Amino acid sequence: MSADVRVRHLVKHYEVADREGGLRASLRSVVRRRHRSVRAVDDITFDVEPGEIVGFLGPNGAGKTTALKLLSGLLHPTAGEATVLDFTPWERRREFLSQITLIMGQRQQLYWDLPALDTFLVNKAVFGLEDAAYREAVDLLVGLLELEEILTKPVRQLSLGERMKAELAAGLLHRPRVLFLDEPTIGLDVTMQQRIRDFVTRYNATTGATILLTSHYMADVKALAERVIVIDHGKLLYDGPLTGLIDRYAPHKTITLHLERPVDRADVAAYGEVVSADDVQVSVRTDKAQAASVTARMLAELPVADLSVEDPPLEYVIDQVFHRRAS
Amino acid sequence: MIGRLAQIAGAYFRSALQEEFAYRGDLFGNVIRSVLNLGTAIGGVVVIFSHTETLGGWTLGQTLSLLGIFVFVNGFVAMFMSPSLNRVVEEVREGTFDYVLMKPVPALFLASARRFAVWHVSDIVLGAIVLGVALAGLDVRASGWGVLLFVALLACGVTIVYAIWLALTTLVFWFVRVANVTMIFNLFFQTGRYPIEVYPFWLRQLLTFVFPVAFVTTVPAQAVTGRDPSWLVWVAPVIAVVALLAATRFWRFGLSRYTSASS
Ligand SMILES: Nc1ncnc2c1ncn2[C@@H]1O[C@H](COP(=O)(O)OP(=O)(O)O)[C@@H](O)[C@H]1O
Ligand SMILES: [Mg+2]
Repeated sequence: MSADVRVRHLVKHYEVADREGGLRASLRSVVRRRHRSVRAVDDITFDVEPGEIVGFLGPNGAGKTTALKLLSGLLHPTAGEATVLDFTPWERRREFLSQITLIMGQRQQLYWDLPALDTFLVNKAVFGLEDAAYREAVDLLVGLLELEEILTKPVRQLSLGERMKAELAAGLLHRPRVLFLDEPTIGLDVTMQQRIRDFVTRYNATTGATILLTSHYMADVKALAERVIVIDHGKLLYDGPLTGLIDRYAPHKTITLHLERPVDRADVAAYGEVVSADDVQVSVRTDKAQAASVTARMLAELPVADLSVEDPPLEYVIDQVFHRRAS
Repeated sequence: MIGRLAQIAGAYFRSALQEEFAYRGDLFGNVIRSVLNLGTAIGGVVVIFSHTETLGGWTLGQTLSLLGIFVFVNGFVAMFMSPSLNRVVEEVREGTFDYVLMKPVPALFLASARRFAVWHVSDIVLGAIVLGVALAGLDVRASGWGVLLFVALLACGVTIVYAIWLALTTLVFWFVRVANVTMIFNLFFQTGRYPIEVYPFWLRQLLTFVFPVAFVTTVPAQAVTGRDPSWLVWVAPVIAVVALLAATRFWRFGLSRYTSASS
Protein backbone atom coordinates (compact mmCIF):
# COMPACT_ATOMS: atom_id res chain seq x y z
CA MET A 1 0.00 0.00 0.00
CA SER A 2 1.39 3.41 -0.92
CA ALA A 3 1.62 6.36 1.43
CA ASP A 4 -1.49 8.49 1.88
CA VAL A 5 0.60 11.63 1.84
CA ARG A 6 3.79 11.79 -0.15
CA VAL A 7 5.84 14.97 -0.18
CA ARG A 8 9.03 15.47 -2.20
CA HIS A 9 11.18 18.60 -2.04
CA LEU A 10 8.16 20.79 -1.63
CA VAL A 11 8.88 24.51 -1.80
CA LYS A 12 6.59 27.51 -1.40
CA HIS A 13 7.79 31.08 -1.66
CA TYR A 14 5.48 34.03 -1.14
CA GLU A 15 6.24 37.25 -2.94
CA VAL A 16 5.59 40.12 -0.60
CA ALA A 17 5.82 43.80 -1.33
CA ASP A 18 8.47 45.21 0.93
CA ARG A 19 7.50 48.51 2.40
CA GLU A 20 9.03 50.64 5.06
CA GLY A 21 6.89 52.61 7.45
CA GLY A 22 5.85 56.21 6.89
CA LEU A 23 3.96 58.11 4.26
CA ARG A 24 7.04 58.83 2.15
CA ALA A 25 7.86 55.17 1.87
CA SER A 26 4.26 54.30 1.15
CA LEU A 27 4.13 56.75 -1.73
CA ARG A 28 7.39 55.50 -3.10
CA SER A 29 6.19 51.93 -2.93
CA VAL A 30 3.23 52.78 -5.14
CA VAL A 31 5.60 53.76 -7.90
CA ARG A 32 8.35 51.28 -7.42
CA ARG A 33 7.48 48.20 -5.50
CA ARG A 34 10.25 46.18 -4.07
CA HIS A 35 9.47 42.53 -3.78
CA ARG A 36 10.88 40.14 -1.33
CA SER A 37 10.54 36.41 -1.32
CA VAL A 38 9.46 34.66 1.87
CA ARG A 39 10.50 31.03 1.94
CA ALA A 40 7.53 29.70 3.86
CA VAL A 41 8.18 26.06 2.96
CA ASP A 42 11.71 25.30 1.95
CA ASP A 43 12.35 21.86 0.48
CA ILE A 44 10.54 19.42 2.74
CA THR A 45 10.19 15.69 2.10
CA PHE A 46 8.22 13.11 4.05
CA ASP A 47 5.60 10.36 3.80
CA VAL A 48 2.57 9.65 5.92
CA GLU A 49 1.19 6.12 5.96
CA PRO A 50 -2.54 5.33 6.06
CA GLY A 51 -3.96 5.65 9.56
CA GLU A 52 -1.01 7.54 10.99
CA ILE A 53 -1.32 10.62 13.20
CA VAL A 54 1.54 13.02 12.62
CA GLY A 55 2.13 16.20 14.59
CA PHE A 56 3.59 19.21 12.84
CA LEU A 57 5.60 21.18 15.32
CA GLY A 58 7.22 24.55 14.94
CA PRO A 59 7.19 28.12 16.21
CA ASN A 60 4.92 30.79 14.72
CA GLY A 61 5.76 31.49 11.11
CA ALA A 62 7.56 28.18 10.69
CA GLY A 63 5.48 27.26 7.65
CA LYS A 64 3.06 24.77 9.17
CA THR A 65 -0.13 26.35 7.82
CA THR A 66 1.43 26.87 4.41
CA ALA A 67 2.40 23.19 4.27
CA LEU A 68 -1.17 22.13 5.11
CA LYS A 69 -2.60 24.54 2.54
CA LEU A 70 -0.35 23.08 -0.13
CA LEU A 71 -1.40 19.56 0.76
CA SER A 72 -5.09 20.44 0.73
CA GLY A 73 -4.80 22.10 -2.66
CA LEU A 74 -5.37 25.72 -1.67
CA LEU A 75 -1.94 26.81 -2.85
CA HIS A 76 0.29 26.00 -5.79
CA PRO A 77 3.85 25.17 -4.81
CA THR A 78 6.84 27.07 -6.12
CA ALA A 79 8.64 23.77 -6.69
CA GLY A 80 8.51 20.14 -5.70
CA GLU A 81 5.87 17.46 -5.71
CA ALA A 82 3.20 16.09 -3.46
CA THR A 83 0.47 13.52 -3.71
CA VAL A 84 -2.38 12.95 -1.30
CA LEU A 85 -4.32 9.74 -1.87
CA ASP A 86 -2.47 9.61 -5.21
CA PHE A 87 -3.93 12.95 -6.32
CA THR A 88 -1.93 16.09 -6.93
CA PRO A 89 -3.64 18.39 -4.43
CA TRP A 90 -3.50 21.67 -6.37
CA GLU A 91 -5.28 20.14 -9.34
CA ARG A 92 -8.22 20.23 -6.96
CA ARG A 93 -10.07 17.29 -8.48
CA ARG A 94 -13.52 16.63 -7.19
CA GLU A 95 -12.63 13.09 -6.09
CA PHE A 96 -9.71 14.51 -4.15
CA LEU A 97 -11.68 17.24 -2.39
CA SER A 98 -14.37 14.71 -1.45
CA GLN A 99 -11.87 12.61 0.46
CA ILE A 100 -9.94 15.16 2.47
CA THR A 101 -10.70 17.96 4.88
CA LEU A 102 -8.92 21.00 6.19
CA ILE A 103 -10.10 22.36 9.50
CA MET A 104 -8.57 25.54 10.80
CA GLY A 105 -8.92 26.45 14.46
CA GLN A 106 -8.96 30.13 13.68
CA ARG A 107 -11.41 30.16 10.81
CA GLN A 108 -14.97 29.04 10.85
CA GLN A 109 -17.33 27.82 8.18
CA LEU A 110 -20.53 27.52 10.22
CA TYR A 111 -23.45 29.87 9.64
CA TRP A 112 -23.26 32.30 12.51
CA ASP A 113 -26.98 32.89 13.04
CA LEU A 114 -28.20 29.35 12.43
CA PRO A 115 -27.80 26.12 14.36
CA ALA A 116 -24.85 24.03 13.21
CA LEU A 117 -27.30 21.45 11.92
CA ASP A 118 -28.21 23.81 9.08
CA THR A 119 -24.59 24.05 7.97
CA PHE A 120 -24.51 20.26 8.11
CA LEU A 121 -27.46 20.05 5.74
CA VAL A 122 -25.77 22.40 3.31
CA ASN A 123 -22.61 20.30 3.43
CA LYS A 124 -24.69 17.21 2.88
CA ALA A 125 -25.86 18.67 -0.41
CA VAL A 126 -22.45 20.05 -1.33
CA PHE A 127 -20.78 16.68 -0.86
CA GLY A 128 -23.73 14.84 -2.36
CA LEU A 129 -24.18 12.57 0.66
CA GLU A 130 -26.93 9.97 0.68
CA ASP A 131 -29.36 10.17 3.60
CA ALA A 132 -28.06 6.98 5.16
CA ALA A 133 -24.40 7.97 4.92
CA TYR A 134 -25.21 11.40 6.33
CA ARG A 135 -27.16 9.97 9.26
CA GLU A 136 -24.38 7.56 10.03
CA ALA A 137 -21.75 10.29 9.97
CA VAL A 138 -23.82 12.57 12.19
CA ASP A 139 -24.46 9.76 14.66
CA LEU A 140 -20.78 8.91 14.87
CA LEU A 141 -19.76 12.53 15.36
CA VAL A 142 -22.51 13.31 17.85
CA GLY A 143 -21.33 10.34 19.87
CA LEU A 144 -17.64 11.12 19.74
CA LEU A 145 -17.98 14.85 20.30
CA GLU A 146 -20.98 14.88 22.66
CA LEU A 147 -22.87 17.23 20.38
CA GLU A 148 -26.53 16.58 21.29
CA GLU A 149 -27.22 19.89 22.97
CA ILE A 150 -24.98 21.88 20.71
CA LEU A 151 -26.36 21.23 17.26
CA THR A 152 -29.73 22.89 17.63
CA LYS A 153 -28.55 26.17 19.15
CA PRO A 154 -27.59 29.09 16.93
CA VAL A 155 -23.83 29.04 16.53
CA ARG A 156 -23.44 32.54 17.92
CA GLN A 157 -24.74 31.28 21.27
CA LEU A 158 -22.09 28.58 21.57
CA SER A 159 -18.92 28.81 23.62
CA LEU A 160 -15.63 28.78 21.76
CA GLY A 161 -15.06 25.14 22.63
CA GLU A 162 -18.56 24.07 21.58
CA ARG A 163 -18.16 25.95 18.35
CA MET A 164 -14.88 24.17 17.65
CA LYS A 165 -16.56 20.82 18.20
CA ALA A 166 -19.31 21.76 15.76
CA GLU A 167 -16.69 22.99 13.26
CA LEU A 168 -14.91 19.67 13.47
CA ALA A 169 -18.15 17.82 12.84
CA ALA A 170 -19.05 20.06 9.87
CA GLY A 171 -15.66 19.34 8.33
CA LEU A 172 -15.93 15.58 8.85
CA LEU A 173 -19.44 14.77 7.63
CA HIS A 174 -18.19 13.49 4.30
CA ARG A 175 -15.97 10.95 6.07
CA PRO A 176 -12.67 12.19 4.67
CA ARG A 177 -9.81 9.71 4.61
CA VAL A 178 -7.18 12.36 5.22
CA LEU A 179 -7.57 15.12 7.80
CA PHE A 180 -5.51 18.29 7.95
CA LEU A 181 -6.09 20.00 11.26
CA ASP A 182 -4.49 23.41 11.70
CA GLU A 183 -4.26 24.39 15.35
CA PRO A 184 -7.54 22.68 16.28
CA THR A 185 -7.16 23.51 19.98
CA ILE A 186 -6.07 27.11 19.68
CA GLY A 187 -7.57 29.46 22.26
CA LEU A 188 -9.46 26.70 24.08
CA ASP A 189 -9.24 26.11 27.80
CA VAL A 190 -7.29 23.14 29.07
CA THR A 191 -10.28 20.83 29.57
CA MET A 192 -11.61 21.54 26.12
CA GLN A 193 -8.18 21.02 24.58
CA GLN A 194 -8.16 17.65 26.27
CA ARG A 195 -11.60 16.80 24.85
CA ILE A 196 -10.56 17.69 21.33
CA ARG A 197 -7.43 15.60 21.70
CA ASP A 198 -9.43 12.62 22.91
CA PHE A 199 -11.73 13.07 19.98
CA VAL A 200 -8.91 13.06 17.46
CA THR A 201 -7.48 9.86 18.94
CA ARG A 202 -10.81 8.11 18.98
CA TYR A 203 -11.78 9.33 15.52
CA ASN A 204 -8.52 7.95 14.21
CA ALA A 205 -9.09 4.63 15.97
CA THR A 206 -12.70 4.37 14.78
CA THR A 207 -12.30 5.40 11.16
CA GLY A 208 -8.65 4.69 10.43
CA ALA A 209 -8.30 8.16 8.97
CA THR A 210 -4.87 9.62 8.35
CA ILE A 211 -4.32 12.79 10.37
CA LEU A 212 -1.81 15.59 10.04
CA LEU A 213 -2.17 18.22 12.69
CA THR A 214 -0.30 21.33 13.68
CA SER A 215 -0.16 22.86 17.07
CA HIS A 216 2.10 24.85 19.19
CA TYR A 217 0.72 23.35 22.35
CA MET A 218 3.18 20.72 23.50
CA ALA A 219 0.43 18.85 25.30
CA ASP A 220 -1.36 18.25 21.99
CA VAL A 221 1.67 16.75 20.40
CA LYS A 222 2.59 14.71 23.44
CA ALA A 223 -0.88 13.23 23.69
CA LEU A 224 -1.60 12.65 20.03
CA ALA A 225 1.32 12.00 17.87
CA GLU A 226 3.75 9.18 18.17
CA ARG A 227 5.49 10.76 15.25
CA VAL A 228 6.42 14.41 15.01
CA ILE A 229 7.76 16.52 12.20
CA VAL A 230 9.56 19.62 13.37
CA ILE A 231 9.90 22.52 10.97
CA ASP A 232 11.37 25.96 11.38
CA HIS A 233 11.92 28.62 8.74
CA GLY A 234 10.30 26.23 6.30
CA LYS A 235 12.93 23.56 6.77
CA LEU A 236 12.35 20.10 8.14
CA LEU A 237 14.53 19.68 11.22
CA TYR A 238 13.33 16.38 12.57
CA ASP A 239 11.00 13.58 11.52
CA GLY A 240 10.52 10.62 13.80
CA PRO A 241 9.15 9.39 17.09
CA LEU A 242 8.74 11.86 19.90
CA THR A 243 11.12 9.88 22.12
CA GLY A 244 13.80 10.10 19.46
CA LEU A 245 13.43 13.86 19.43
CA ILE A 246 14.20 13.95 23.12
CA ASP A 247 17.19 11.64 22.76
CA ARG A 248 18.59 13.65 19.95
CA TYR A 249 18.11 17.18 21.14
CA ALA A 250 18.03 16.89 24.89
CA PRO A 251 19.87 13.73 25.80
CA HIS A 252 19.83 14.30 29.51
CA LYS A 253 17.87 13.61 32.63
CA THR A 254 16.97 15.90 35.45
CA ILE A 255 17.69 14.46 38.89
CA THR A 256 15.80 16.19 41.68
CA LEU A 257 16.96 15.67 45.26
CA HIS A 258 15.20 16.31 48.53
CA LEU A 259 17.94 16.73 51.11
CA GLU A 260 17.78 16.10 54.81
CA ARG A 261 19.78 19.25 55.44
CA PRO A 262 21.16 22.05 53.26
CA VAL A 263 24.50 21.37 51.59
CA ASP A 264 27.04 23.58 49.91
CA ARG A 265 26.05 24.37 46.37
CA ALA A 266 29.50 23.54 45.11
CA ASP A 267 29.14 20.03 46.43
CA VAL A 268 26.07 19.54 44.29
CA ALA A 269 27.57 21.15 41.22
CA ALA A 270 30.15 18.39 41.11
CA TYR A 271 27.42 16.02 39.84
CA GLY A 272 26.18 18.07 36.92
CA GLU A 273 24.63 21.34 35.87
CA VAL A 274 22.48 22.74 38.67
CA VAL A 275 19.14 23.74 37.21
CA SER A 276 17.54 24.99 40.40
CA ALA A 277 18.47 24.96 44.04
CA ASP A 278 16.96 26.11 47.27
CA ASP A 279 17.64 25.04 50.84
CA VAL A 280 16.84 21.37 50.64
CA GLN A 281 15.65 20.82 47.09
CA VAL A 282 18.12 20.68 44.23
CA SER A 283 17.73 19.78 40.56
CA VAL A 284 20.72 18.68 38.55
CA ARG A 285 20.93 17.96 34.85
CA THR A 286 23.21 15.14 33.72
CA ASP A 287 23.95 13.23 30.58
CA LYS A 288 21.41 10.54 29.97
CA ALA A 289 24.10 7.87 29.72
CA GLN A 290 25.48 8.80 33.12
CA ALA A 291 22.20 9.30 34.93
CA ALA A 292 22.37 5.90 36.65
CA SER A 293 25.89 6.21 37.95
CA VAL A 294 25.40 9.82 39.03
CA THR A 295 22.29 8.85 40.93
CA ALA A 296 24.16 6.08 42.69
CA ARG A 297 26.96 8.43 43.67
CA MET A 298 24.55 11.04 44.97
CA LEU A 299 22.77 8.49 47.12
CA ALA A 300 26.08 7.39 48.57
CA GLU A 301 27.63 10.79 49.10
CA LEU A 302 24.78 13.25 49.90
CA PRO A 303 22.16 13.30 52.68
CA VAL A 304 19.33 12.36 50.30
CA ALA A 305 15.79 12.12 51.68
CA ASP A 306 14.09 11.54 48.36
CA LEU A 307 15.09 11.47 44.71
CA SER A 308 13.42 11.50 41.30
CA VAL A 309 14.78 11.20 37.75
CA GLU A 310 12.89 12.79 34.86
CA ASP A 311 13.11 13.38 31.15
CA PRO A 312 13.40 17.05 30.29
CA PRO A 313 10.05 18.74 29.61
CA LEU A 314 9.04 18.84 25.96
CA GLU A 315 9.08 22.62 25.96
CA TYR A 316 12.72 22.49 26.84
CA VAL A 317 13.40 19.95 24.10
CA ILE A 318 11.75 22.08 21.47
CA ASP A 319 13.67 25.06 22.72
CA GLN A 320 16.86 23.09 22.20
CA VAL A 321 15.82 22.14 18.67
CA PHE A 322 15.32 25.72 17.58
CA HIS A 323 18.23 27.02 19.55
CA ARG A 324 20.64 24.63 17.92
CA ARG A 325 19.50 25.64 14.51
CA ALA A 326 19.98 29.31 15.28
CA SER A 327 23.52 28.87 16.55
CA MET B 1 -24.20 17.88 -12.91
CA ILE B 2 -26.93 20.50 -13.38
CA GLY B 3 -29.23 18.52 -11.10
CA ARG B 4 -26.58 18.31 -8.45
CA LEU B 5 -25.85 22.03 -8.63
CA ALA B 6 -29.56 22.79 -8.39
CA GLN B 7 -29.74 20.64 -5.28
CA ILE B 8 -26.82 22.50 -3.73
CA ALA B 9 -28.30 25.89 -4.56
CA GLY B 10 -31.57 24.66 -3.06
CA ALA B 11 -29.84 23.74 0.19
CA TYR B 12 -28.23 27.18 0.39
CA PHE B 13 -31.54 28.81 -0.41
CA ARG B 14 -33.26 26.96 2.44
CA SER B 15 -30.57 28.16 4.83
CA ALA B 16 -31.11 31.69 3.58
CA LEU B 17 -34.83 31.39 4.28
CA GLN B 18 -34.05 30.11 7.76
CA GLU B 19 -31.68 32.98 8.41
CA GLU B 20 -34.42 35.34 7.34
CA PHE B 21 -36.91 33.77 9.71
CA ALA B 22 -34.38 34.06 12.52
CA TYR B 23 -34.86 37.81 12.05
CA ARG B 24 -38.53 38.13 11.34
CA GLY B 25 -38.47 41.80 12.30
CA ASP B 26 -36.24 42.50 9.32
CA LEU B 27 -38.68 40.98 6.89
CA PHE B 28 -41.46 43.36 7.85
CA GLY B 29 -39.22 46.43 7.96
CA ASN B 30 -37.82 45.68 4.56
CA VAL B 31 -41.19 45.29 2.89
CA ILE B 32 -42.10 48.72 4.22
CA ARG B 33 -38.83 50.09 2.95
CA SER B 34 -39.45 48.64 -0.52
CA VAL B 35 -42.85 50.28 -0.66
CA LEU B 36 -41.50 53.64 0.49
CA ASN B 37 -38.62 53.50 -1.99
CA LEU B 38 -41.00 52.75 -4.79
CA GLY B 39 -43.36 55.52 -3.72
CA THR B 40 -40.55 58.07 -3.80
CA ALA B 41 -39.37 56.87 -7.20
CA ILE B 42 -42.84 57.05 -8.74
CA GLY B 43 -43.38 60.43 -7.10
CA GLY B 44 -40.16 61.69 -8.66
CA VAL B 45 -41.21 60.62 -12.14
CA VAL B 46 -44.69 62.14 -11.72
CA VAL B 47 -43.20 65.47 -10.56
CA ILE B 48 -40.91 65.59 -13.60
CA PHE B 49 -43.85 64.97 -15.91
CA SER B 50 -45.89 67.71 -14.30
CA HIS B 51 -43.44 70.08 -16.04
CA THR B 52 -43.02 68.28 -19.32
CA GLU B 53 -44.84 66.01 -21.76
CA THR B 54 -41.91 63.82 -22.59
CA LEU B 55 -38.55 62.94 -21.08
CA GLY B 56 -35.87 62.28 -23.68
CA GLY B 57 -38.71 61.32 -25.99
CA TRP B 58 -40.36 59.01 -23.45
CA THR B 59 -43.94 59.50 -22.24
CA LEU B 60 -45.02 59.18 -18.61
CA GLY B 61 -46.38 55.68 -19.12
CA GLN B 62 -43.26 54.54 -20.91
CA THR B 63 -41.00 56.00 -18.24
CA LEU B 64 -43.02 54.30 -15.51
CA SER B 65 -42.73 50.99 -17.36
CA LEU B 66 -38.99 51.48 -17.41
CA LEU B 67 -39.04 52.26 -13.69
CA GLY B 68 -40.93 49.00 -13.10
CA ILE B 69 -38.25 47.11 -14.98
CA PHE B 70 -35.57 48.86 -12.97
CA VAL B 71 -37.20 47.99 -9.64
CA PHE B 72 -37.67 44.41 -10.80
CA VAL B 73 -34.06 43.93 -11.92
CA ASN B 74 -32.77 45.79 -8.88
CA GLY B 75 -34.70 43.41 -6.64
CA PHE B 76 -33.56 40.40 -8.60
CA VAL B 77 -29.92 41.43 -8.34
CA ALA B 78 -30.25 42.24 -4.65
CA MET B 79 -31.89 38.91 -3.95
CA PHE B 80 -29.85 36.52 -6.06
CA MET B 81 -26.52 38.13 -6.92
CA SER B 82 -25.12 40.69 -4.57
CA PRO B 83 -25.38 38.65 -1.35
CA SER B 84 -23.20 35.83 -2.67
CA LEU B 85 -20.68 38.06 -4.40
CA ASN B 86 -20.42 40.42 -1.43
CA ARG B 87 -19.82 37.42 0.74
CA VAL B 88 -16.84 36.46 -1.42
CA VAL B 89 -15.25 39.84 -0.70
CA GLU B 90 -15.75 39.35 3.04
CA GLU B 91 -14.48 35.80 2.95
CA VAL B 92 -11.32 36.63 1.08
CA ARG B 93 -10.67 39.30 3.69
CA GLU B 94 -11.36 36.99 6.62
CA GLY B 95 -9.57 34.02 5.09
CA THR B 96 -12.65 31.82 5.21
CA PHE B 97 -12.76 31.73 1.41
CA ASP B 98 -10.44 28.76 1.86
CA TYR B 99 -13.44 26.74 2.96
CA VAL B 100 -15.22 27.57 -0.29
CA LEU B 101 -12.27 26.28 -2.28
CA MET B 102 -12.23 23.09 -0.24
CA LYS B 103 -15.66 22.09 -1.49
CA PRO B 104 -15.90 19.63 -4.38
CA VAL B 105 -17.99 22.09 -6.39
CA PRO B 106 -16.80 24.71 -8.92
CA ALA B 107 -15.76 27.82 -7.02
CA LEU B 108 -17.57 30.15 -9.40
CA PHE B 109 -20.84 28.40 -8.67
CA LEU B 110 -20.38 28.70 -4.91
CA ALA B 111 -19.30 32.30 -5.30
CA SER B 112 -22.50 33.09 -7.16
CA ALA B 113 -25.28 30.96 -5.68
CA ARG B 114 -24.74 30.67 -2.00
CA ARG B 115 -26.39 33.59 -0.29
CA PHE B 116 -29.82 34.99 -0.95
CA ALA B 117 -31.51 38.07 0.47
CA VAL B 118 -34.96 36.57 0.43
CA TRP B 119 -36.93 39.64 1.47
CA HIS B 120 -36.01 41.46 -1.76
CA VAL B 121 -38.75 39.38 -3.28
CA SER B 122 -40.97 42.36 -2.39
CA ASP B 123 -39.01 44.54 -4.83
CA ILE B 124 -39.36 41.93 -7.54
CA VAL B 125 -43.12 41.72 -7.05
CA LEU B 126 -43.60 45.49 -6.81
CA GLY B 127 -41.49 46.04 -9.94
CA ALA B 128 -43.61 43.57 -11.87
CA ILE B 129 -46.80 45.28 -10.67
CA VAL B 130 -45.60 48.75 -11.69
CA LEU B 131 -44.61 47.45 -15.10
CA GLY B 132 -47.95 45.69 -15.54
CA VAL B 133 -50.03 48.70 -14.51
CA ALA B 134 -47.99 51.14 -16.63
CA LEU B 135 -48.27 48.87 -19.66
CA ALA B 136 -52.02 48.53 -19.20
CA GLY B 137 -52.27 52.32 -19.32
CA LEU B 138 -50.18 52.45 -22.49
CA ASP B 139 -52.50 50.20 -24.44
CA VAL B 140 -49.76 48.34 -26.31
CA ARG B 141 -50.64 45.14 -28.04
CA ALA B 142 -48.39 42.38 -26.78
CA SER B 143 -47.63 39.84 -29.48
CA GLY B 144 -46.12 36.50 -28.54
CA TRP B 145 -42.90 37.57 -30.24
CA GLY B 146 -42.89 40.84 -28.38
CA VAL B 147 -43.10 39.11 -25.02
CA LEU B 148 -40.39 36.66 -26.02
CA LEU B 149 -38.13 39.48 -27.17
CA PHE B 150 -38.72 41.35 -23.94
CA VAL B 151 -37.87 38.34 -21.78
CA ALA B 152 -34.76 37.65 -23.86
CA LEU B 153 -33.62 41.25 -23.55
CA LEU B 154 -34.25 41.22 -19.82
CA ALA B 155 -32.16 38.06 -19.54
CA CYS B 156 -29.38 39.78 -21.48
CA GLY B 157 -29.57 42.74 -19.11
CA VAL B 158 -29.39 40.57 -16.01
CA THR B 159 -26.47 38.63 -17.50
CA ILE B 160 -24.62 41.87 -18.14
CA VAL B 161 -25.22 43.00 -14.57
CA TYR B 162 -23.89 39.68 -13.29
CA ALA B 163 -20.79 39.95 -15.46
CA ILE B 164 -20.03 43.46 -14.24
CA TRP B 165 -20.53 42.51 -10.64
CA LEU B 166 -18.43 39.38 -10.95
CA ALA B 167 -15.60 41.39 -12.50
CA LEU B 168 -15.78 43.97 -9.70
CA THR B 169 -15.78 41.20 -7.10
CA THR B 170 -12.76 39.58 -8.69
CA LEU B 171 -10.73 42.70 -7.91
CA VAL B 172 -10.63 41.48 -4.32
CA PHE B 173 -7.91 39.01 -5.30
CA TRP B 174 -5.60 41.97 -5.95
CA PHE B 175 -6.86 44.57 -3.54
CA VAL B 176 -8.01 42.87 -0.40
CA ARG B 177 -9.36 46.16 0.80
CA VAL B 178 -11.28 46.82 -2.40
CA ALA B 179 -13.64 49.70 -1.70
CA ASN B 180 -17.20 48.64 -1.19
CA VAL B 181 -18.03 46.97 -4.47
CA THR B 182 -21.71 47.58 -3.96
CA MET B 183 -21.10 51.32 -3.92
CA ILE B 184 -19.17 51.47 -7.17
CA PHE B 185 -21.73 49.28 -8.78
CA ASN B 186 -24.72 51.22 -7.53
CA LEU B 187 -23.28 54.52 -8.65
CA PHE B 188 -23.69 53.36 -12.23
CA PHE B 189 -26.60 51.04 -11.80
CA GLN B 190 -28.87 53.75 -10.38
CA THR B 191 -28.63 55.64 -13.70
CA GLY B 192 -30.88 52.86 -15.03
CA ARG B 193 -33.90 54.47 -13.35
CA TYR B 194 -34.28 56.77 -16.35
CA PRO B 195 -34.10 56.16 -20.06
CA ILE B 196 -30.60 56.49 -21.43
CA GLU B 197 -31.75 59.34 -23.70
CA VAL B 198 -31.96 61.78 -20.79
CA TYR B 199 -28.21 61.74 -20.24
CA PRO B 200 -25.62 63.83 -22.09
CA PHE B 201 -23.82 62.28 -25.03
CA TRP B 202 -20.61 61.24 -23.23
CA LEU B 203 -22.50 59.58 -20.40
CA ARG B 204 -24.72 57.78 -22.88
CA GLN B 205 -21.63 56.29 -24.54
CA LEU B 206 -20.27 55.29 -21.15
CA LEU B 207 -23.53 53.65 -20.13
CA THR B 208 -23.79 51.79 -23.42
CA PHE B 209 -20.30 50.52 -24.07
CA VAL B 210 -18.30 50.66 -20.84
CA PHE B 211 -20.77 50.08 -18.07
CA PRO B 212 -23.69 48.91 -20.20
CA VAL B 213 -26.62 49.84 -17.99
CA ALA B 214 -28.51 50.80 -21.17
CA PHE B 215 -29.10 47.12 -21.87
CA VAL B 216 -30.55 46.48 -18.44
CA THR B 217 -33.53 48.85 -18.49
CA THR B 218 -33.68 51.11 -21.55
CA VAL B 219 -33.44 48.43 -24.22
CA PRO B 220 -35.97 45.99 -22.70
CA ALA B 221 -38.30 48.93 -22.01
CA GLN B 222 -38.09 50.06 -25.63
CA ALA B 223 -39.13 46.60 -26.73
CA VAL B 224 -42.04 46.23 -24.35
CA THR B 225 -43.53 49.73 -24.61
CA GLY B 226 -43.70 49.60 -28.37
CA ARG B 227 -41.14 52.36 -28.89
CA ASP B 228 -38.98 52.00 -31.97
CA PRO B 229 -36.45 49.42 -30.94
CA SER B 230 -33.00 50.82 -31.59
CA TRP B 231 -30.19 48.85 -33.16
CA LEU B 232 -29.07 48.13 -29.59
CA VAL B 233 -31.62 45.30 -29.48
CA TRP B 234 -29.37 43.29 -31.75
CA VAL B 235 -26.22 44.16 -29.87
CA ALA B 236 -27.61 43.13 -26.47
CA PRO B 237 -27.04 39.37 -26.76
CA VAL B 238 -23.56 39.94 -28.16
CA ILE B 239 -22.59 42.22 -25.30
CA ALA B 240 -24.12 39.82 -22.78
CA VAL B 241 -22.15 36.83 -24.06
CA VAL B 242 -18.91 38.75 -24.42
CA ALA B 243 -19.25 40.30 -20.96
CA LEU B 244 -20.01 36.93 -19.37
CA LEU B 245 -17.06 35.23 -21.04
CA ALA B 246 -14.70 38.05 -20.17
CA ALA B 247 -15.87 38.18 -16.54
CA THR B 248 -15.55 34.44 -15.96
CA ARG B 249 -12.08 34.44 -17.50
CA PHE B 250 -11.09 37.33 -15.30
CA TRP B 251 -12.48 35.45 -12.30
CA ARG B 252 -10.43 32.37 -13.13
CA PHE B 253 -7.34 34.49 -13.51
CA GLY B 254 -7.97 36.17 -10.15
CA LEU B 255 -8.61 32.84 -8.50
CA SER B 256 -5.35 31.37 -9.81
CA ARG B 257 -3.62 34.36 -8.30
CA TYR B 258 -5.31 33.71 -4.99
CA THR B 259 -4.37 30.06 -4.93
CA SER B 260 -0.76 30.88 -5.55
CA ALA B 261 -1.05 33.60 -2.88
CA SER B 262 1.69 35.71 -4.32
CA SER B 263 0.82 38.83 -2.41
N1 LIG C 1 -0.43 34.81 2.10
C1 LIG C 1 0.83 35.08 2.50
N2 LIG C 1 1.53 36.02 1.86
C2 LIG C 1 2.79 36.29 2.24
N3 LIG C 1 3.45 35.69 3.23
C3 LIG C 1 2.81 34.73 3.92
C4 LIG C 1 1.46 34.39 3.59
N4 LIG C 1 1.05 33.41 4.44
C5 LIG C 1 2.11 33.16 5.25
N5 LIG C 1 3.16 33.95 4.95
C6 LIG C 1 4.51 33.93 5.59
O1 LIG C 1 5.03 32.64 5.44
C7 LIG C 1 5.68 32.20 6.62
C8 LIG C 1 5.04 30.92 7.13
O2 LIG C 1 3.72 31.18 7.58
P1 LIG C 1 2.74 30.06 8.09
O3 LIG C 1 2.73 28.95 7.13
O4 LIG C 1 1.44 30.71 8.40
O5 LIG C 1 3.45 29.60 9.44
P2 LIG C 1 2.86 28.85 10.72
O6 LIG C 1 1.54 28.27 10.37
O7 LIG C 1 3.88 27.80 11.04
O8 LIG C 1 2.77 29.87 11.80
C9 LIG C 1 5.58 33.36 7.59
O9 LIG C 1 6.78 34.10 7.51
C10 LIG C 1 4.43 34.16 7.08
O10 LIG C 1 4.59 35.51 7.38
MG1 LIG D 1 -0.30 28.64 11.32
